[in-house]
Order: sequence, then structure tokens, then C-alpha cells
Amino acid sequence: MRYLMNNLKYSHDSSSNNAMIVLDNVTKRYPGSQEALSNASFSIEQGEMVYVTGHSGAGKSTLLKLVAAIERPSNGTVLINNQNISKLSESTLPYVRRKFGLVFQDHKLLYDRNCYHNVALPLAINGITGADAGKRIRAALDKVGLLNKEKSMPITLSGGEQQRLAIARAVVSRPSILIADEPTGNLDKNYADGILTLFSAFQQVGVTVIIATHDLLGTANEHKVLHLDHGRLVTPQVVA
Amino acid sequence: MNTWLTQHSQARQLVISRLRENLFGNLFIAFTIAVSLALPIIMYLALTSFSGLVGSIKNDSHMSLFLTTDATPTMADSIHNTLATHAAIKKFQFISKEAALKQLANDSQNENIIQTLDKNPLPDAFFIEPTDLESAAINQLKTDLSQLDGVEAIQIDHAWLKRLNYLLALGGNALWVLAMLLGFAIFAVIGNTIRMQILTQQQEIEVSQLIGATHSFIRRPFLYSGAIYGLAGALLALAIASCVILLFNLSIVSLATEYQADFSLRLPNFATLFVTCLSAILLGVVSAYITVSKSLFKSIN
Repeated sequence: MRYLMNNLKYSHDSSSNNAMIVLDNVTKRYPGSQEALSNASFSIEQGEMVYVTGHSGAGKSTLLKLVAAIERPSNGTVLINNQNISKLSESTLPYVRRKFGLVFQDHKLLYDRNCYHNVALPLAINGITGADAGKRIRAALDKVGLLNKEKSMPITLSGGEQQRLAIARAVVSRPSILIADEPTGNLDKNYADGILTLFSAFQQVGVTVIIATHDLLGTANEHKVLHLDHGRLVTPQVVA
Repeated sequence: MNTWLTQHSQARQLVISRLRENLFGNLFIAFTIAVSLALPIIMYLALTSFSGLVGSIKNDSHMSLFLTTDATPTMADSIHNTLATHAAIKKFQFISKEAALKQLANDSQNENIIQTLDKNPLPDAFFIEPTDLESAAINQLKTDLSQLDGVEAIQIDHAWLKRLNYLLALGGNALWVLAMLLGFAIFAVIGNTIRMQILTQQQEIEVSQLIGATHSFIRRPFLYSGAIYGLAGALLALAIASCVILLFNLSIVSLATEYQADFSLRLPNFATLFVTCLSAILLGVVSAYITVSKSLFKSIN
């Protein structure tokens, strides 16, 4: 877990204010459809745990994609560590994306390779291979309780295990921000609680965690909530 | 630099292990490329072999100057002197009509015919090797010499040579056209193969892009694939070409022996190997690059 802490040092290198992610009046339109997100403004501080809620189709995934520098806004500005995403060139965007650990709604695990090699992918992208990579991969698998499954193929894992494997892949490159889209979507309560505990553990060591969910779970009480309704941010609030 | 090297060896290992997984299919693709490459290689080797043959004949190329049958030895002497001082003549040889008849008689088949002759029908002759083989220079020399006293006829032996040279030039052009067309075929074969690979790895590519893979990271393994297909194709093509030439040589050598010629088709040398491999690898890499650039980077941004 210490490596996650170390990583935070350069994640807010030159920032004058503390906000890690700032969205200012951001609108996202996809060609041939309505606005998926309209005039959203909010900021996320380092080390925060944020829930993005709303019914399905409210724009949660769009918001996460904008935050993770996967999409660029149609209007408004997205700042990540004071870098304006709209102004970054195509070739620098991948380096911004590496700051994030992403857990996708549909896992996006690779079924042609075992768990170990699934987790190895982000490290390979960062140019980390060999013994160093092996240590990190096993540490990440250990964290999510899948160390004994490193040689298993993802298809043989249960839904909850697949979700945890996706989390292991998201955290293996020591991101400063962890983003999860519906991480508990298809899981029963036991599994879901386990996953959320895992996210809390990352937040406690300083990782910023952003989770999109369609039902606000009881555990979210003390955290910031961004509630979306038809692409509009309704009440960014801290639930008391 | 170190990271760069690691990423390259990583991409290479990945590609090699993937190619191995579908070894049979990939060998087939390499074989298709090889067949396309082998044709121009064989043609090139045949052309260079013939050019070499023509080059060696060129040195023996000469003019024959025949005197009138009633030419006197004085006339022959004066021609001899002119030839000896002429700048356009490298060397020459005089064959008297008696010597020519004797040469003819040496061949036993002609003996009977010669015995039936009541007088020597052969003229005195000079065999001339000009310094310059350009047709203009040769024609000039011909006009010069034909004005001399006692000259019956001048025969230039290189007309057929000229025709052969034109044919070889035509062959050279045909080789280029063939190489270009087949090069395009190889380009298409490799491009299509890479497109299929991209399709089967669509998910991995998508995830990699989402979590921060650069374009070059995604492109790299495909470039290696293209290069490996090219190289494998080139090596196979050289093997095919060598086999074909060895097979042809079996009959060509016996044919050449009949003509007392020492001729066989050349096998690929190091330069051929180098150029073939290099151009095939380049074709593969460029084709892969274009295919990857066209097929990727659409899902995101």
C-alpha cells in the first residue's frame, strides 16, 4: 500500500490549488444525440471519495470519461492537475490517462490470457516488465484476494472475482485516482460490500476514488455525491 | 532509452509467441508472399546471367573484311598497313585464302566437298576488333575501310548482339513492372493479415488505449508482425528461387555444353539476399503502419 502513497507525491506536483479535478461549465454532446452532460461544474480534491449517482442514461459514464481524459468536452474546461484536457495534444493524452486506474462497467478483462497477464497490461504500457512487474502484479492480486488465482483464466472466475481482478488491474500501476463505473452493478450484497470496502481502503491511503452507481448504498453517507438527472448535475452535496 | 529497448523486445516477444500460436496459417501467409517475391527474383537472376553472357561475347565481337578474290598481295599489304595505323582498330588478324581453306579442310566432314572444288573459292580476309563498340563508331569504320582498294565486303558480326541487348533491356523493364505489381500484391497480403490481427485483438487494443497506451505502443507489435512476414517471405522466396534455378541449370548446363559454352544461371548472391530481405521488410512495415493507422484510433476521441 505504501507505493500508492509514494505515487501521490508527483500527482499534485505543480498545482497551486488543492483540487485535483476541476470541471467548469462542461457540456458533452455526441454527434446525432442530445447533450449527455450539460453545464456541469464541480471539483474533486485529492484523497476524496466521490459517488456519481443517477438513473441509467443520466450521464454518469460520460462524466467519468471526461474526468479520465477519455473524452474531450464539447464546451467548458476540464482540468486535471491544472492541465486543460482540451488543450492537450493527442499524443500527450495517453500520459494523462495513466494517472487513472479505471474499473469499467463491463470489466473489459481480456479472456485470452490468465489473471496475471491481465494485470500485467498497464505495467507493460508503462514499460515495466520482468521481476519488478511480477512483484507489483502479485501485490495487486494479493490486495484483491486473488493471489491464488494468478494462473486462472478470467472466464473461470465468478462475477465478484472478475470485478476484483478488474480492480487489481486498475491499481497495479499505482494511480493517484481510481475511477469505477458501476463496480457493484451485478453483484449480490456480500460481494458488493467487499468491493466497496476495498475502495475505502484505497481512499484511506490517499487515493482519490470516484465511483458511479445507480443506487446509493448506505456506506456512502459521509462522502461527496454528484447526482445526475438527464445530464444535469442536481445537487453536488455532502450528505450529512 | 532503456525503456524504449524494453518495449521493443517486449513487442517482439509478444509477436513471436502470437505467430507461433498459429504457425501453420502464418507459414501459409509467408508462402504466399514468397511466391510473389520468387518470380521477380528468378527473372532478375536469369537476366543478370544473360547479361553476363552478352558481356563476355562483346569482347570477341569483330568485323570481317573480305578482299576480292583477284586481289593482289600488294593490295593486301597496303590494307594491312592502313589497318595497323587506324586509330579505331584495337587489333586485327590476317587469314590468307590458303590458310582459310586449310582450316576448312581440317574438319573431316568438309573434306569431300573440298576435293570436288577445282579452285579455292575463299578470299583473303582480315578479322578486326574495333576499340569502340558503339554502332556509330563501327559504322564510321566500316565506311572508311570499304573505300580501300581490293575490299569486297565488310561484315559486322554484332547485329544479333544488338538485338539481344534490346531484348535484355526489354526484359529489365518487364522485371520492374512485375516487381512493382507483385510488390503491391505483397503489400495487400500483409495489410490484410494485419487487419485480421487487429480485429482479433480489438478488445486488448481498446482497453490499452483507455488506460493510457500511446499510439506507438499499440502500433509496435503490428509493425514487427509486418516485418516478420516480410522477412519470412523473402527468405522462403530466395529458397524457392534457388531451387528453381538449380533445377533449370540441370538442363541449361547440358545445353550449353553442346555449344562449348560455359554457362549456367546464377544463384542469389549476398547482395540479392540483402536487397530482397530489406525491401520485403520495408514493404511489411509500411503496409502494417498504414493499416494500423487506418484501422485504429477510431474508437477513442
